[in-house]
Amino acid sequence: MQDRKAIRRRRAGLVVFLALSIAILTAYFGESGGGFFHALQRGAQETFAPIETGASRALKPVRDLVGWVGDTVDAKDENAQLEREVDELRAELARTRTAQRDASQLKGLVGLHKEEGFPQGTKPVTARVIARSPNVWYSSIKIDKGSSDGVELDQPVIAASSDDSGPSAGGLAGKITRVTGGTAEVTLITDASIGVGAQVMPAGAAGVVRPEVGDPRDLLLDLVHGGRVTENAIVVTSGFKTAVGQSLFPRGIPIGRVTDVDLDEVEIYQRVHLRPFADLRRIDIVQVLTRRGTPAQTAGVFQP
Amino acid sequence: MRIGLGSFLRVGLALVLAVVLQLSTFSQMPILGGQFDIVVLVVAAVAYYAGAIPGCAVGFAAGFLLDLLSGATMGASSLVLTAVGYGIGRFREVRDPSHGLLPLAVGAVATGAWVLAFAAVSFMLDVGATVSPLVLRDMLVTVLLNTLLALPIFIGCRKLLRPVLAVDPLARSARRRPPRDTGPIGLRGLEI
Repeated sequence: MQDRKAIRRRRAGLVVFLALSIAILTAYFGESGGGFFHALQRGAQETFAPIETGASRALKPVRDLVGWVGDTVDAKDENAQLEREVDELRAELARTRTAQRDASQLKGLVGLHKEEGFPQGTKPVTARVIARSPNVWYSSIKIDKGSSDGVELDQPVIAASSDDSGPSAGGLAGKITRVTGGTAEVTLITDASIGVGAQVMPAGAAGVVRPEVGDPRDLLLDLVHGGRVTENAIVVTSGFKTAVGQSLFPRGIPIGRVTDVDLDEVEIYQRVHLRPFADLRRIDIVQVLTRRGTPAQTAGVFQP
Repeated sequence: MRIGLGSFLRVGLALVLAVVLQLSTFSQMPILGGQFDIVVLVVAAVAYYAGAIPGCAVGFAAGFLLDLLSGATMGASSLVLTAVGYGIGRFREVRDPSHGLLPLAVGAVATGAWVLAFAAVSFMLDVGATVSPLVLRDMLVTVLLNTLLALPIFIGCRKLLRPVLAVDPLARSARRRPPRDTGPIGLRGLEI
Protein backbone atom coordinates (compact mmCIF):
# COMPACT_ATOMS: atom_id res chain seq x y z
CA MET A 1 0.00 0.00 0.00
CA GLN A 2 2.78 2.32 1.07
CA ASP A 3 4.78 1.32 -2.02
CA ARG A 4 1.93 2.10 -4.36
CA LYS A 5 1.52 5.50 -2.75
CA ALA A 6 5.24 6.20 -3.18
CA ILE A 7 5.16 5.07 -6.81
CA ARG A 8 2.13 7.26 -7.52
CA ARG A 9 3.78 10.24 -5.84
CA ARG A 10 7.02 9.71 -7.77
CA ARG A 11 5.28 9.41 -11.11
CA ALA A 12 3.09 12.40 -10.36
CA GLY A 13 6.21 14.43 -9.56
CA LEU A 14 7.79 13.54 -12.89
CA VAL A 15 4.61 14.27 -14.85
CA VAL A 16 4.10 17.63 -13.10
CA PHE A 17 7.64 18.85 -13.83
CA LEU A 18 7.60 17.62 -17.44
CA ALA A 19 4.19 19.21 -18.01
CA LEU A 20 5.46 22.47 -16.49
CA SER A 21 8.45 22.45 -18.82
CA ILE A 22 6.29 21.85 -21.88
CA ALA A 23 3.85 24.55 -20.77
CA ILE A 24 6.70 27.06 -20.38
CA LEU A 25 8.13 26.04 -23.76
CA THR A 26 4.76 26.49 -25.44
CA ALA A 27 4.08 29.82 -23.72
CA TYR A 28 7.55 31.10 -24.63
CA PHE A 29 7.05 30.32 -28.31
CA GLY A 30 3.54 31.71 -28.28
CA GLU A 31 4.29 35.08 -26.72
CA SER A 32 5.81 38.17 -28.28
CA GLY A 33 9.20 39.64 -27.38
CA GLY A 34 7.54 41.70 -24.65
CA GLY A 35 5.72 38.76 -23.05
CA PHE A 36 6.01 37.48 -19.49
CA PHE A 37 8.82 34.95 -19.96
CA HIS A 38 10.87 37.28 -22.17
CA ALA A 39 10.49 40.02 -19.56
CA LEU A 40 11.43 37.52 -16.84
CA GLN A 41 14.57 36.60 -18.78
CA ARG A 42 15.55 40.24 -19.17
CA GLY A 43 14.96 40.91 -15.47
CA ALA A 44 16.93 37.86 -14.35
CA GLN A 45 19.80 38.66 -16.68
CA GLU A 46 19.97 42.20 -15.40
CA THR A 47 19.88 40.99 -11.79
CA PHE A 48 22.61 38.41 -12.29
CA ALA A 49 24.79 40.57 -14.56
CA PRO A 50 26.99 41.96 -11.73
CA ILE A 51 27.59 38.45 -10.37
CA GLU A 52 28.42 37.11 -13.83
CA THR A 53 30.71 40.06 -14.51
CA GLY A 54 32.56 39.47 -11.23
CA ALA A 55 32.87 35.73 -11.81
CA SER A 56 33.93 36.24 -15.40
CA ARG A 57 36.72 38.65 -14.43
CA ALA A 58 37.89 36.67 -11.42
CA LEU A 59 38.12 33.42 -13.35
CA LYS A 60 39.57 34.83 -16.56
CA PRO A 61 43.09 33.53 -15.81
CA VAL A 62 41.58 30.05 -15.38
CA ARG A 63 39.79 30.34 -18.71
CA ASP A 64 42.95 31.52 -20.40
CA LEU A 65 44.85 28.62 -18.86
CA VAL A 66 42.31 26.08 -20.09
CA GLY A 67 42.04 27.86 -23.43
CA TRP A 68 45.76 27.63 -23.76
CA VAL A 69 45.62 23.88 -23.16
CA GLY A 70 42.87 23.52 -25.78
CA ASP A 71 44.86 25.45 -28.35
CA THR A 72 47.87 23.27 -27.63
CA VAL A 73 45.96 20.16 -28.52
CA ASP A 74 44.47 21.82 -31.59
CA ALA A 75 47.75 23.00 -33.02
CA LYS A 76 49.59 19.76 -33.71
CA ASP A 77 51.93 21.49 -36.14
CA GLU A 78 53.13 23.85 -33.46
CA ASN A 79 53.93 21.11 -31.01
CA ALA A 80 57.53 22.05 -30.41
CA GLN A 81 56.72 25.68 -29.84
CA LEU A 82 53.92 24.81 -27.45
CA GLU A 83 56.19 22.52 -25.47
CA ARG A 84 58.49 25.47 -24.85
CA GLU A 85 55.51 27.45 -23.70
CA VAL A 86 54.69 24.80 -21.07
CA ASP A 87 57.85 25.85 -19.22
CA GLU A 88 56.77 29.47 -19.35
CA LEU A 89 53.38 28.82 -17.80
CA ARG A 90 53.42 30.56 -14.45
CA ALA A 91 50.82 32.50 -12.59
CA GLU A 92 52.52 35.78 -13.45
CA LEU A 93 52.62 34.84 -17.09
CA ALA A 94 48.92 33.97 -17.06
CA ARG A 95 48.15 37.49 -15.80
CA THR A 96 50.46 39.05 -18.36
CA ARG A 97 48.93 37.07 -21.18
CA THR A 98 45.46 38.07 -20.10
CA ALA A 99 46.49 41.69 -20.48
CA GLN A 100 48.25 40.98 -23.75
CA ARG A 101 45.21 39.24 -25.18
CA ASP A 102 42.95 42.15 -24.29
CA ALA A 103 45.42 44.60 -25.83
CA SER A 104 45.72 42.50 -28.99
CA GLN A 105 41.98 42.33 -29.48
CA LEU A 106 41.61 46.06 -28.91
CA LYS A 107 44.43 46.71 -31.38
CA GLY A 108 42.72 44.46 -33.90
CA LEU A 109 39.44 46.30 -33.52
CA VAL A 110 41.16 49.67 -33.98
CA GLY A 111 42.87 48.28 -37.08
CA LEU A 112 39.56 47.06 -38.44
CA HIS A 113 38.16 50.59 -38.42
CA LYS A 114 41.16 51.81 -40.40
CA GLU A 115 40.69 49.14 -43.07
CA GLU A 116 39.89 50.25 -46.54
CA GLY A 117 36.17 49.99 -47.19
CA PHE A 118 35.04 49.86 -43.55
CA PRO A 119 32.00 52.14 -42.98
CA GLN A 120 32.86 55.50 -41.43
CA GLY A 121 31.22 57.27 -38.48
CA THR A 122 29.89 54.11 -36.81
CA LYS A 123 30.54 55.36 -33.25
CA PRO A 124 31.79 52.04 -31.82
CA VAL A 125 31.24 51.11 -28.15
CA THR A 126 33.82 48.68 -26.80
CA ALA A 127 32.45 45.97 -24.49
CA ARG A 128 33.71 42.95 -22.58
CA VAL A 129 32.12 39.51 -22.89
CA ILE A 130 30.74 38.39 -19.51
CA ALA A 131 28.85 35.21 -20.44
CA ARG A 132 28.42 32.82 -23.31
CA SER A 133 25.62 30.42 -24.30
CA PRO A 134 26.34 26.95 -22.96
CA ASN A 135 25.84 24.87 -26.11
CA VAL A 136 26.17 24.92 -29.88
CA TRP A 137 22.45 25.27 -30.56
CA TYR A 138 22.24 28.84 -29.29
CA SER A 139 25.26 30.88 -30.29
CA SER A 140 25.16 34.04 -28.25
CA ILE A 141 27.25 36.05 -25.83
CA LYS A 142 26.42 38.60 -23.19
CA ILE A 143 28.36 41.87 -22.98
CA ASP A 144 28.77 44.41 -20.20
CA LYS A 145 27.38 47.41 -22.12
CA GLY A 146 23.69 48.14 -22.48
CA SER A 147 21.15 50.80 -23.36
CA SER A 148 22.76 53.28 -20.96
CA ASP A 149 25.88 53.16 -23.18
CA GLY A 150 23.91 53.74 -26.37
CA VAL A 151 23.52 50.09 -27.33
CA GLU A 152 20.24 49.30 -29.11
CA LEU A 153 18.57 46.32 -30.71
CA ASP A 154 19.86 45.06 -34.08
CA GLN A 155 23.11 47.03 -33.97
CA PRO A 156 26.01 45.18 -35.59
CA VAL A 157 28.85 43.81 -33.44
CA ILE A 158 32.43 43.26 -34.56
CA ALA A 159 35.24 41.25 -32.98
CA ALA A 160 38.96 40.93 -33.48
CA SER A 161 40.74 38.09 -35.21
CA SER A 162 42.96 35.68 -33.27
CA ASP A 163 45.22 35.28 -36.28
CA ASP A 164 47.67 38.16 -36.38
CA SER A 165 49.18 37.00 -39.65
CA GLY A 166 46.01 37.57 -41.67
CA PRO A 167 45.29 40.69 -43.69
CA SER A 168 42.17 41.48 -41.72
CA ALA A 169 42.13 42.58 -38.10
CA GLY A 170 38.73 41.03 -37.49
CA GLY A 171 35.22 41.22 -38.75
CA LEU A 172 31.50 40.91 -38.18
CA ALA A 173 30.60 38.88 -35.07
CA GLY A 174 26.83 39.28 -34.78
CA LYS A 175 24.03 41.63 -33.83
CA ILE A 176 22.37 42.86 -30.65
CA THR A 177 19.22 40.88 -29.90
CA ARG A 178 18.41 41.85 -26.33
CA VAL A 179 19.30 44.94 -24.28
CA THR A 180 19.03 45.83 -20.63
CA GLY A 181 20.35 48.93 -18.89
CA GLY A 182 23.84 47.60 -18.28
CA THR A 183 24.10 44.50 -20.47
CA ALA A 184 23.22 43.28 -23.92
CA GLU A 185 22.94 39.93 -25.65
CA VAL A 186 24.72 39.43 -28.96
CA THR A 187 23.50 36.68 -31.26
CA LEU A 188 26.56 35.56 -33.18
CA ILE A 189 26.66 34.93 -36.92
CA THR A 190 27.13 31.24 -36.07
CA ASP A 191 23.61 31.11 -34.58
CA ALA A 192 21.06 29.20 -36.60
CA SER A 193 18.69 32.17 -36.68
CA ILE A 194 21.13 34.56 -38.36
CA GLY A 195 21.47 35.38 -42.06
CA VAL A 196 23.64 38.23 -43.31
CA GLY A 197 23.38 39.83 -46.76
CA ALA A 198 26.89 39.66 -48.18
CA GLN A 199 28.93 40.37 -51.26
CA VAL A 200 32.10 38.77 -52.53
CA MET A 201 34.88 41.22 -53.33
CA PRO A 202 36.14 42.09 -55.85
CA ALA A 203 33.95 39.81 -58.04
CA GLY A 204 30.73 41.37 -56.77
CA ALA A 205 28.72 38.15 -56.41
CA ALA A 206 26.03 38.47 -53.73
CA GLY A 207 24.45 35.98 -51.33
CA VAL A 208 23.43 35.32 -47.75
CA VAL A 209 25.93 34.19 -45.12
CA ARG A 210 24.47 31.40 -42.99
CA PRO A 211 26.12 29.38 -40.22
CA GLU A 212 26.97 25.72 -40.13
CA VAL A 213 25.87 24.74 -36.62
CA GLY A 214 28.64 23.09 -34.66
CA ASP A 215 31.55 24.44 -36.70
CA PRO A 216 32.28 28.07 -35.78
CA ARG A 217 35.17 28.20 -38.25
CA ASP A 218 32.99 27.44 -41.26
CA LEU A 219 30.23 29.68 -42.63
CA LEU A 220 28.18 29.15 -45.77
CA LEU A 221 27.55 31.78 -48.41
CA ASP A 222 24.16 30.65 -49.74
CA LEU A 223 22.25 31.63 -52.88
CA VAL A 224 25.34 33.00 -54.59
CA HIS A 225 24.48 34.90 -57.75
CA GLY A 226 25.80 37.66 -59.94
CA GLY A 227 29.40 36.63 -60.44
CA ARG A 228 32.07 33.97 -60.20
CA VAL A 229 33.48 33.25 -56.75
CA THR A 230 37.09 32.16 -56.28
CA GLU A 231 38.93 30.85 -53.27
CA ASN A 232 40.53 33.47 -50.99
CA ALA A 233 38.07 36.14 -52.06
CA ILE A 234 36.94 38.49 -49.30
CA VAL A 235 33.28 38.53 -48.22
CA VAL A 236 31.81 41.74 -46.78
CA THR A 237 28.36 42.87 -45.70
CA SER A 238 26.38 44.07 -48.71
CA GLY A 239 24.09 46.58 -46.95
CA PHE A 240 21.64 46.05 -49.81
CA LYS A 241 18.18 47.52 -49.78
CA THR A 242 15.49 44.99 -50.74
CA ALA A 243 11.72 44.96 -50.93
CA VAL A 244 11.66 43.81 -47.29
CA GLY A 245 13.83 46.67 -46.10
CA GLN A 246 17.41 47.69 -45.68
CA SER A 247 19.99 45.24 -44.33
CA LEU A 248 20.74 45.68 -40.60
CA PHE A 249 24.44 45.71 -41.35
CA PRO A 250 26.06 48.68 -43.09
CA ARG A 251 27.94 47.98 -46.29
CA GLY A 252 31.61 47.07 -46.08
CA ILE A 253 32.09 45.19 -42.78
CA PRO A 254 34.46 42.25 -43.48
CA ILE A 255 32.89 38.86 -42.69
CA GLY A 256 35.39 36.27 -43.85
CA ARG A 257 37.45 34.73 -46.61
CA VAL A 258 36.21 32.12 -49.11
CA THR A 259 37.94 28.83 -48.30
CA ASP A 260 36.20 26.23 -50.42
CA VAL A 261 34.50 26.52 -53.81
CA ASP A 262 33.14 23.16 -54.87
CA LEU A 263 31.74 23.49 -58.39
CA ASP A 264 29.11 20.79 -57.79
CA GLU A 265 27.98 22.52 -54.61
CA VAL A 266 27.91 25.87 -56.40
CA GLU A 267 25.79 24.49 -59.23
CA ILE A 268 23.35 22.52 -57.09
CA TYR A 269 23.07 24.64 -53.93
CA GLN A 270 24.58 28.00 -55.09
CA ARG A 271 26.78 27.74 -52.00
CA VAL A 272 30.46 28.29 -51.08
CA HIS A 273 32.28 27.99 -47.74
CA LEU A 274 34.07 30.79 -45.93
CA ARG A 275 36.04 31.20 -42.73
CA PRO A 276 35.04 34.17 -40.54
CA PHE A 277 37.69 36.78 -39.78
CA ALA A 278 36.43 37.21 -36.21
CA ASP A 279 37.51 34.48 -33.81
CA LEU A 280 34.04 33.40 -32.71
CA ARG A 281 35.25 30.61 -30.42
CA ARG A 282 37.09 32.83 -27.97
CA ILE A 283 35.82 36.37 -27.85
CA ASP A 284 36.76 38.54 -24.90
CA ILE A 285 36.22 42.02 -26.29
CA VAL A 286 33.80 43.24 -28.95
CA GLN A 287 32.66 46.55 -30.38
CA VAL A 288 29.05 47.52 -30.98
CA LEU A 289 28.58 49.88 -33.92
CA THR A 290 26.01 52.20 -32.38
CA ARG A 291 25.62 54.34 -35.46
CA ARG A 292 25.01 53.00 -38.96
CA GLY A 293 27.72 55.16 -40.49
CA THR A 294 28.26 55.83 -44.14
CA PRO A 295 29.90 53.48 -46.62
CA ALA A 296 33.45 54.47 -47.46
CA GLN A 297 34.16 55.81 -50.94
CA THR A 298 36.10 52.66 -51.63
CA ALA A 299 33.48 50.42 -50.06
CA GLY A 300 34.11 46.78 -50.76
CA VAL A 301 37.42 47.25 -52.55
CA PHE A 302 39.65 44.77 -50.71
CA GLN A 303 42.84 43.18 -51.81
CA PRO A 304 42.34 39.36 -51.88
CA MET B 1 16.12 13.98 1.33
CA ARG B 2 14.53 15.79 4.25
CA ILE B 3 12.51 18.69 2.87
CA GLY B 4 13.10 21.93 4.73
CA LEU B 5 14.67 25.36 4.59
CA GLY B 6 18.15 23.86 4.95
CA SER B 7 17.76 21.55 1.97
CA PHE B 8 16.29 24.35 -0.19
CA LEU B 9 19.17 26.67 0.69
CA ARG B 10 21.83 24.05 0.04
CA VAL B 11 20.40 22.88 -3.28
CA GLY B 12 19.63 26.46 -4.34
CA LEU B 13 23.17 27.55 -3.57
CA ALA B 14 24.59 24.67 -5.58
CA LEU B 15 22.34 25.43 -8.56
CA VAL B 16 22.98 29.18 -8.67
CA LEU B 17 26.71 28.63 -8.31
CA ALA B 18 26.72 25.97 -11.03
CA VAL B 19 24.71 28.05 -13.52
CA VAL B 20 26.68 31.27 -12.95
CA LEU B 21 30.02 29.43 -13.23
CA GLN B 22 28.79 27.59 -16.31
CA LEU B 23 27.77 30.77 -18.13
CA SER B 24 30.61 33.02 -17.04
CA THR B 25 33.49 30.54 -17.12
CA PHE B 26 33.03 26.98 -18.35
CA SER B 27 31.07 27.94 -21.49
CA GLN B 28 33.97 30.18 -22.47
CA MET B 29 36.56 27.42 -22.15
CA PRO B 30 36.35 25.38 -25.36
CA ILE B 31 38.53 22.27 -25.32
CA LEU B 32 38.71 20.36 -28.60
CA GLY B 33 35.34 21.82 -29.51
CA GLY B 34 33.66 20.57 -26.33
CA GLN B 35 33.35 22.12 -22.89
CA PHE B 36 32.74 21.22 -19.26
CA ASP B 37 29.03 21.24 -18.40
CA ILE B 38 28.74 21.36 -14.63
CA VAL B 39 24.98 22.04 -14.48
CA VAL B 40 24.06 18.53 -15.60
CA LEU B 41 26.67 17.08 -13.22
CA VAL B 42 25.17 18.94 -10.26
CA VAL B 43 21.68 17.74 -11.23
CA ALA B 44 22.97 14.17 -11.56
CA ALA B 45 24.78 14.37 -8.21
CA VAL B 46 21.69 15.65 -6.36
CA ALA B 47 19.53 12.97 -8.00
CA TYR B 48 22.11 10.30 -7.23
CA TYR B 49 22.23 11.12 -3.54
CA ALA B 50 18.65 12.30 -2.94
CA GLY B 51 16.47 10.18 -5.27
CA ALA B 52 14.06 10.53 -8.16
CA ILE B 53 11.64 13.21 -6.93
CA PRO B 54 14.34 15.65 -5.71
CA GLY B 55 16.25 14.74 -8.89
CA CYS B 56 13.50 15.81 -11.25
CA ALA B 57 12.68 18.90 -9.15
CA VAL B 58 16.31 20.00 -9.19
CA GLY B 59 16.55 19.20 -12.91
CA PHE B 60 13.56 21.41 -13.60
CA ALA B 61 14.93 24.26 -11.45
CA ALA B 62 18.40 24.03 -12.97
CA GLY B 63 17.00 24.06 -16.52
CA PHE B 64 14.71 26.97 -15.73
CA LEU B 65 17.59 29.00 -14.27
CA LEU B 66 19.89 28.09 -17.16
CA ASP B 67 17.36 29.17 -19.79
CA LEU B 68 16.53 32.29 -17.82
CA LEU B 69 20.12 33.50 -17.60
CA SER B 70 21.42 32.26 -20.96
CA GLY B 71 18.56 33.73 -22.99
CA ALA B 72 17.80 30.37 -24.63
CA THR B 73 14.31 29.06 -25.33
CA MET B 74 12.57 28.81 -21.95
CA GLY B 75 11.53 25.29 -21.00
CA ALA B 76 13.84 23.32 -23.30
CA SER B 77 16.60 22.72 -20.75
CA SER B 78 14.04 22.14 -17.97
CA LEU B 79 12.36 19.42 -20.00
CA VAL B 80 15.58 17.52 -20.60
CA LEU B 81 17.17 18.02 -17.17
CA THR B 82 13.93 16.94 -15.43
CA ALA B 83 14.11 13.63 -17.28
CA VAL B 84 17.84 13.25 -16.58
CA GLY B 85 17.36 13.95 -12.85
CA TYR B 86 14.51 11.48 -12.62
CA GLY B 87 16.42 8.78 -14.49
CA ILE B 88 19.53 9.07 -12.32
CA GLY B 89 17.41 9.19 -9.16
CA ARG B 90 15.52 6.03 -10.16
CA PHE B 91 18.80 4.28 -10.93
CA ARG B 92 19.98 5.01 -7.41
CA GLU B 93 16.68 3.90 -5.85
CA VAL B 94 16.45 0.65 -7.79
CA ARG B 95 20.09 -0.43 -7.79
CA ASP B 96 21.30 1.17 -4.54
CA PRO B 97 24.87 1.34 -5.86
CA SER B 98 27.75 2.17 -3.53
CA HIS B 99 31.00 1.83 -5.46
CA GLY B 100 33.24 4.85 -4.98
CA LEU B 101 33.93 5.34 -8.70
CA LEU B 102 30.34 5.03 -9.84
CA PRO B 103 29.96 8.86 -10.16
CA LEU B 104 32.27 8.65 -13.18
CA ALA B 105 29.83 6.39 -15.02
CA VAL B 106 26.78 8.26 -13.73
CA GLY B 107 28.31 11.60 -14.82
CA ALA B 108 29.09 10.23 -18.28
CA VAL B 109 25.62 8.74 -18.78
CA ALA B 110 23.87 11.86 -17.48
CA THR B 111 25.93 14.12 -19.75
CA GLY B 112 25.40 11.83 -22.74
CA ALA B 113 21.66 11.80 -22.16
CA TRP B 114 21.62 15.58 -21.70
CA VAL B 115 23.51 16.46 -24.91
CA LEU B 116 21.62 13.91 -27.04
CA ALA B 117 18.19 14.79 -25.69
CA PHE B 118 18.89 18.52 -25.95
CA ALA B 119 19.99 18.05 -29.56
CA ALA B 120 16.76 16.16 -30.24
CA VAL B 121 14.68 18.93 -28.63
CA SER B 122 16.59 21.54 -30.64
CA PHE B 123 15.84 19.65 -33.85
CA MET B 124 12.18 19.41 -32.89
CA LEU B 125 12.13 23.16 -32.29
CA ASP B 126 13.32 23.55 -35.90
CA VAL B 127 16.95 24.55 -36.30
CA GLY B 128 16.88 26.71 -39.42
CA ALA B 129 20.45 26.00 -40.51
CA THR B 130 22.76 23.29 -41.74
CA VAL B 131 24.16 21.12 -38.93
CA SER B 132 27.80 20.10 -39.11
CA PRO B 133 28.82 16.53 -38.27
CA LEU B 134 31.31 18.14 -35.88
CA VAL B 135 28.39 18.50 -33.46
CA LEU B 136 28.76 14.79 -32.71
CA ARG B 137 32.45 15.22 -31.95
CA ASP B 138 31.67 18.15 -29.65
CA MET B 139 29.08 16.05 -27.81
CA LEU B 140 31.55 13.23 -27.34
CA VAL B 141 34.25 15.60 -26.05
CA THR B 142 31.77 17.16 -23.62
CA VAL B 143 30.88 13.70 -22.28
CA LEU B 144 34.56 12.83 -21.83
CA LEU B 145 35.36 16.15 -20.13
CA ASN B 146 32.39 15.78 -17.78
CA THR B 147 33.49 12.24 -16.93
CA LEU B 148 36.79 13.70 -15.73
CA LEU B 149 35.00 16.35 -13.68
CA ALA B 150 32.28 14.06 -12.28
CA LEU B 151 34.11 12.79 -9.22
CA PRO B 152 34.98 16.18 -7.64
CA ILE B 153 31.51 17.55 -8.39
CA PHE B 154 29.82 14.50 -6.82
CA ILE B 155 32.09 14.68 -3.77
CA GLY B 156 31.34 18.40 -3.38
CA CYS B 157 27.59 17.84 -3.69
CA ARG B 158 27.73 14.92 -1.24
CA LYS B 159 29.46 17.10 1.35
CA LEU B 160 26.97 19.91 0.78
CA LEU B 161 23.88 17.69 0.94
CA ARG B 162 24.94 15.17 3.60
CA PRO B 163 23.31 16.99 6.56
CA VAL B 164 19.90 17.03 4.82
CA LEU B 165 19.93 13.56 3.26
CA ALA B 166 17.59 10.91 4.69
CA VAL B 167 20.19 8.20 3.97
CA ASP B 168 23.85 9.02 4.45
CA PRO B 169 25.75 7.92 1.31
CA LEU B 170 28.84 7.07 3.36
CA ALA B 171 26.80 4.83 5.69
CA ARG B 172 25.44 3.07 2.59
CA SER B 173 28.99 2.39 1.40
CA ALA B 174 29.92 1.00 4.81
CA ARG B 175 26.87 -1.26 4.78
CA ARG B 176 27.96 -2.76 1.47
CA ARG B 177 31.55 -3.41 2.62
CA PRO B 178 32.41 -7.16 2.61
CA PRO B 179 32.90 -8.87 6.03
CA ARG B 180 36.39 -9.00 7.46
CA ASP B 181 38.21 -12.25 6.77
CA THR B 182 41.01 -11.98 9.36
CA GLY B 183 41.10 -12.41 13.15
CA PRO B 184 40.19 -15.37 15.38
CA ILE B 185 38.48 -18.13 13.42
CA GLY B 186 35.28 -18.00 15.41
CA LEU B 187 34.83 -14.24 14.87
CA ARG B 188 35.51 -14.01 11.13
CA GLY B 189 32.65 -12.45 9.24
CA LEU B 190 30.89 -11.30 12.40
CA GLU B 191 32.45 -7.77 12.47
CA ILE B 192 33.24 -8.17 16.21
